[in-house]
Amino acid sequence: MKLTATELGWSTRRHSILNSVSLEVEPGKVLGLVGPNGSGKSTLLRLLSGILKPTSGHVFLKNRPLAELSRREVAQRIAFVEQQADTSERITVRDAVELGRTPWLSLRHPWGDADDALVAQALKDVGMDHFADRQWATLSGGERQRTHIARALVQKPGLLLLDEPTNHLDVHHQLSILALVSKLTVTTVVAIHDLNQAMDCDSVGVLDQGNLVAIGPPEEVLSVERLRDTFGVGVTHLTDPHDGRRIMRFHS
Amino acid sequence: MIRAAARQMVSTRALRWLTSFGMLAVAILAGASIGETPIPPMTVLQTLANKLLVADYPLDPIDEGIIWNYRLTRAVVAACCGASLAVSGVVLQALLRNALADPYIMGISAGASTGAVAVTIAGFGAGVVSLSMGAFAGAILAFGLVALLARAAGGGMSGHGAAQIVLAGIAGSQLFNALTTFIITKSANADQARGILFWLLGNLSGARWHDVLLGAPIAMAGVTICALHARSLDAFTFGAESAASLGIPVRRLQMVLIGTSALLTAVIVSMVGSIGFVGLVIPHAARLVVGVRHARLIPASALSGAVFLVVADILSRTIIPGQVLPIGVVTALIGAPGFALILIRGAGQR
Repeated sequence: MKLTATELGWSTRRHSILNSVSLEVEPGKVLGLVGPNGSGKSTLLRLLSGILKPTSGHVFLKNRPLAELSRREVAQRIAFVEQQADTSERITVRDAVELGRTPWLSLRHPWGDADDALVAQALKDVGMDHFADRQWATLSGGERQRTHIARALVQKPGLLLLDEPTNHLDVHHQLSILALVSKLTVTTVVAIHDLNQAMDCDSVGVLDQGNLVAIGPPEEVLSVERLRDTFGVGVTHLTDPHDGRRIMRFHS
Repeated sequence: MIRAAARQMVSTRALRWLTSFGMLAVAILAGASIGETPIPPMTVLQTLANKLLVADYPLDPIDEGIIWNYRLTRAVVAACCGASLAVSGVVLQALLRNALADPYIMGISAGASTGAVAVTIAGFGAGVVSLSMGAFAGAILAFGLVALLARAAGGGMSGHGAAQIVLAGIAGSQLFNALTTFIITKSANADQARGILFWLLGNLSGARWHDVLLGAPIAMAGVTICALHARSLDAFTFGAESAASLGIPVRRLQMVLIGTSALLTAVIVSMVGSIGFVGLVIPHAARLVVGVRHARLIPASALSGAVFLVVADILSRTIIPGQVLPIGVVTALIGAPGFALILIRGAGQR
């Protein structure tokens, strides 16, 4: 599903958090959002998800304004995995994933076998199928995150928004989640902390103090000058002898 | 094989429902039979048969009158109140993401009391506004104030700041209880004041058929509305924002369901005064038995709340011979330790 944002802005009464962000993501592509803490990544994702109403600008899905859709219609198109959504309820992994079917269910369309199949598939996709009956409280941060992603997958979205999905994961699960995301045919916008991981996205947007200061192919965008200006770090580009890929090493 | 399993599931579910309603029926029967003059359950059943099925058992008209006009109405009203309070508790806990939310703690009951007293004693609304309407206005006002205060204190509806909303509720309860006392002291005579103070702690002795006719339909409608939103309430598991991203119109749902629980609370308070702890303890007990899914939790809470309050009413009439304890005292004696357990368990989870 094609995603377009035009001059998107959000401000509280006193502060402007995000200024005039315009971007476009082609169907099936992955856009990585990078930027220092507090640069507006989460706010941008919440605006794109429709949870937050922009104070200026518009979001379009398949060239249709998001504002025209009902909450339920939005949820049938966009799945959003927030950072650290937690609960003290005594629910199982399967319960949590089943929530993702909410926008598709109604009194006339109750839970059915197809929903069970989707849940089973999503649990398998994120490698949580053996944990389906585990209690939420007993899960590690990484297991919780994978469960959230499974919940987003059963929503069958055309656009997937992920807010730092690899934040709590060990390196193995980081890689498996990123591999999973890049395999999906769904259009994805993902906020990423690790700049080397951002290199694997189809394109990268750099946010700095609420402004989208660069967007484009990762090799172009994550240049030495950009990293110095935005993150205040120096960078050396190295080449992995294993596959010839470029990696970045940072120094202050 | 799958079909056999499905059939078995249906039959266990039917069995569960049958047992639950059976328990409620037994509790109401007990409520009608136990009291200062014990009346055998058989006589209660015969009275019911006389009244409802036009049977013609020869019965003592006094017994019949006590059962039909006093005890039965009392037990049915108790059941309606118990169900309403428990479901209000479930809804508030889910929407506010707070294990300690309930109409009593959130100040809704206190607000309803103030509204009711303002109408009956202070003559607010000049006879046009009914007692229940006054209570409803008070309930909504109290909740609004508590929600605003919680938000100003950095908590609010989104589920952050669990402590703030409870503290705001305490402040709201205190304020509205003080207002109630103020109105009573200023406007009521001594006799009225005694009666009202007793009613405020929860008193079912005035329950008659007209209360049943008001309470039962509203309780049923309220519980049904909440049950129809079971899936939306499930979606609040990870907070209001997560519910929104699952397609729930959060603001509208909060208005409908909090409005419903305020209405339920207001009707209860206007009939029997404010009864604490039912909305808090029953949902948690029900969760332990049927799990957290609202499709099961709401009916289970409604039924167990109903049974609980009928039994609490029986206790309130029999614990001290010749005296009737306010039912709020009984529910608090049982509920406060329950509340403590929830607090301790909550701390263990963190």
